[in-house]
Amino acid sequence: MGPEVTLLAAALLLVSPAEETLGEVASKVNARLVKIYGSGGVKGLPGYGTGILVSPEGHILTAANHLPDSSDLRVHLADGTRLSAKVVASEPELDAALLKIEDKTAAGELPHFDIAKASKAPLLAPGTGVLAFSNQFQIATRDEPVTVQRGVVAALTTLQGRIGVFEAPYSGSVYVIDAITNNPGAAGGALTNRKGDLVGIIGRELRNDQTQTWINYAVPLGATVASRGTQGRMLSLAELVEKKEKYRPSGRPDRAGRSGDWNVRAGWILVPQVIDRTPPFIEEVEANSPASRAGARPDDLIVYVDGTPVPTIAALRDILEKYRPGDKVQVEVRRQDRLQTLVVELEPPPKSPANPPR
Amino acid sequence: MAAGTRSLLVLMAAVLPIHAADPAVDSEDRERVKTVARISPAVVAVVTGGGSGVLISEDGYALTNYHVVGGQGPALRCGLPDGNLYDAVVVGLDRIGDVALIKLLPREPGAKFPHAVMGDSDTVKVGDWSLALGNPFLLATDFTPTVTFGLVSGIHRYQYPERGMFEYTDCIQSDTSINPGNSGGPLFNTKGELIGINGRGSFDKRGRVNSGVGYAISINQIKNFLGHLRAGLQVDHASLGAVVSSSPEEEGSRPRVLVSGLISSDAERRGLQLGDELTRFAGRPVGTVNQFKNVLGLYPKGWRVPMTVRREREGGGTETRQMLVRLMGYERQEQGEAPKPPAQGRPKPPGNPEGGKPPADSPAMKLFEARPGFANWHFNKMARDRLLAGLTAKTDLSSSTGDWVVRANAKLGEKGRDGTAVIRWAAGTGGVPDRVMALIDGVDFTLEPLKTDLPAAALRDPPGSGGMLTALYHFRQLMLKGKSGFVGESSHGGVEPYYPPLEKEPDDWFKSRVDAEIIRASLGGVDTRFQFTTGQGGTRLAGMESVLDKEEDPCEIHFDDYREVGGKSLPFRISVFHGGRPYCRLEVQSWDLK
Repeated sequence: MGPEVTLLAAALLLVSPAEETLGEVASKVNARLVKIYGSGGVKGLPGYGTGILVSPEGHILTAANHLPDSSDLRVHLADGTRLSAKVVASEPELDAALLKIEDKTAAGELPHFDIAKASKAPLLAPGTGVLAFSNQFQIATRDEPVTVQRGVVAALTTLQGRIGVFEAPYSGSVYVIDAITNNPGAAGGALTNRKGDLVGIIGRELRNDQTQTWINYAVPLGATVASRGTQGRMLSLAELVEKKEKYRPSGRPDRAGRSGDWNVRAGWILVPQVIDRTPPFIEEVEANSPASRAGARPDDLIVYVDGTPVPTIAALRDILEKYRPGDKVQVEVRRQDRLQTLVVELEPPPKSPANPPR
Repeated sequence: MAAGTRSLLVLMAAVLPIHAADPAVDSEDRERVKTVARISPAVVAVVTGGGSGVLISEDGYALTNYHVVGGQGPALRCGLPDGNLYDAVVVGLDRIGDVALIKLLPREPGAKFPHAVMGDSDTVKVGDWSLALGNPFLLATDFTPTVTFGLVSGIHRYQYPERGMFEYTDCIQSDTSINPGNSGGPLFNTKGELIGINGRGSFDKRGRVNSGVGYAISINQIKNFLGHLRAGLQVDHASLGAVVSSSPEEEGSRPRVLVSGLISSDAERRGLQLGDELTRFAGRPVGTVNQFKNVLGLYPKGWRVPMTVRREREGGGTETRQMLVRLMGYERQEQGEAPKPPAQGRPKPPGNPEGGKPPADSPAMKLFEARPGFANWHFNKMARDRLLAGLTAKTDLSSSTGDWVVRANAKLGEKGRDGTAVIRWAAGTGGVPDRVMALIDGVDFTLEPLKTDLPAAALRDPPGSGGMLTALYHFRQLMLKGKSGFVGESSHGGVEPYYPPLEKEPDDWFKSRVDAEIIRASLGGVDTRFQFTTGQGGTRLAGMESVLDKEEDPCEIHFDDYREVGGKSLPFRISVFHGGRPYCRLEVQSWDLK
């Protein structure tokens, strides 16, 4: 018995050989993260965020929030180098966007996470220790390392936003964590295990309006999400990163507000609903749609629907819920300085096989 | 073998659950519990003001935040984990750094306080564990501190000032829970060493409760100010006298810090130029404006720190220059009444269940004296008198009221040309005023310092010295009369680095620095800072700087090679500098004191 006990004890010690300190882990992870800067500064919408390098050429995985919509998107690498970036692909169902830095001299040998490999690792069980890395509150600039926080996976569960309670930008499996990541600029940051292996991407600031509580969550790398727009095809972060420019988005409008597919279809795509009071500007008009037939154009601002003022995207949706496919609705839009009257014959919304809860 | 295998399996089953709990973690946990028990007694509940603090000496000095005690008046009440209430008094205040030094009064005369050991916050690393102790939400009515535990999330963080106060430079960011009432309390490393004072967080939408982002003022910053705080000063932070900004934001650029503006300052007089790239400041590399502001915030006004710049050469290429720069003040003007701290940003509890206010006849009031520019003049007087008593113990010249004469061989000017010098202090008698005379290489200079309407040039004699005779007059006043030799002011000026004169510019000025206690003295519109070292050889005057005009370089005099003469310790090497250049170095042959 004696020698066996000794042997076994030695074996146990060897299970974790020369483990890196948390400081070493932090510096390794930090080298693979970028600080993102873009449009923002409106109340509740920071002009900064966090991203994860996922290729040596400079592809960056981040949240599909308002930041990737910026015309002037910049990133700071961990060594302080400042570069421009462009959106390569975006998947609202995963609330994820893939960016690429534009400078070719810096690209090629950037430290990065291997998402394909990391997404095959088993999901973490509740109770597992994790580290959260993000540039929340924009504490770090240029070459200063981002914030690292510690926590445990409190739950592996499904995030289901409900209208009137809180609307989640993402519906699918999430890690709920006890590190406080629900802070401005944290979205798109890295959730790793205590060894620094990437396990998830930190989600947005999200609040339950009934309980006034904030949830700290991250989307697991291995998460797959069914989409209404893709005939049941399962979407994953790994696929987005692997296909890059060739990625075919689900086509679902941004859950945060690009509209069209409510209970009726007009065929206009509105600007992202970034705040509660976002006015219903038309960003795009789908070809061969009720809106295009009625003569709607990008940049039109919808002002009245059948005589009722619609100051916000939310108000527009509330009104359209009273209509049925086939109804004709009189829409007044402001185009430059004039009001134009359009008559839109509403259609049924596209079929959605998966029909995830919203 | 079969039996062996089976026993192995049994053992595996027995060991696995233990392994799941990790024996290393277990022992860490036990160590932490021991550490908490050891450090808890030094944690202060600052009842007046509703915050926390930590004792740092056995005679009752404790650190807290300015925003906890500022505006509360000089007398305070504090609780310790022994369950008792103590009277306390405000000693020193650092409004910009958000630090206050207070002193608790023992319940029995001479009783000693438990206190924390200060660590080296420059060794703190991201990923280290940390412990915050304090009084969040004023939970414990018996003053037992609340302990929270978390990760160091960032170091060398810069947090912008609010309304000109509370600039957190080079601070420690942790996810250790910081809540209202934790303000002023200690952040410890896992060894139980004090590494910072918790005072601020990024609270955003959560209304001043823990957001996972707390900031502690680094203890190394506080150490730089501690000499000032102990001297009862209301301290000022530093500015450089130059504007620096990030280099033009070019694509793919690494950050650089360039001098983009200059005002009349020591930095300008030391040769700083527009367009210079700042590469090192006070011993640390500088790559961003935040890094520069981080380092600048560590130092009090008036400190001299080394700085390295890179400059384009005219013919191409670059050159590197090191300079020792005297820092200017941060606050535009001395403000009388402390403004109310702003309502956001720092964790401070809303109400105070204890009522908090000490009685009007608090014994702490015996340790307080008000004076503009000082947090507590009582402590300044004590520090000044202690320092001067130390000087007199080694060199008591108070009875040498007659003429003083120093004869010396001299090295003159930058080239060190050989010559001779005689310095004579003539005591005024019967209508003949005090005079200071210097005979340098056969040229005679005389100053009658008490004469009114002296021409500016006379005060600056001999030419090129920056006012050696004026400075030497202040020297005699100090040695002969002490604090009463200065009508304008004589106060303790805290602690500053002192740089002894060196034959050759060192690679790193900071390595030659010596901590010196300062006496600030003012007479006839001339301000002098006397620099004292207080090492094993007792209290010694190491140097002095007399400022005739704030826009000019002072006359600097260094004293060393102290020898015993008739039971008095006197300097046998006196070196005079002006504008960084040597004016003369006297190798004293004799001191003649009447």
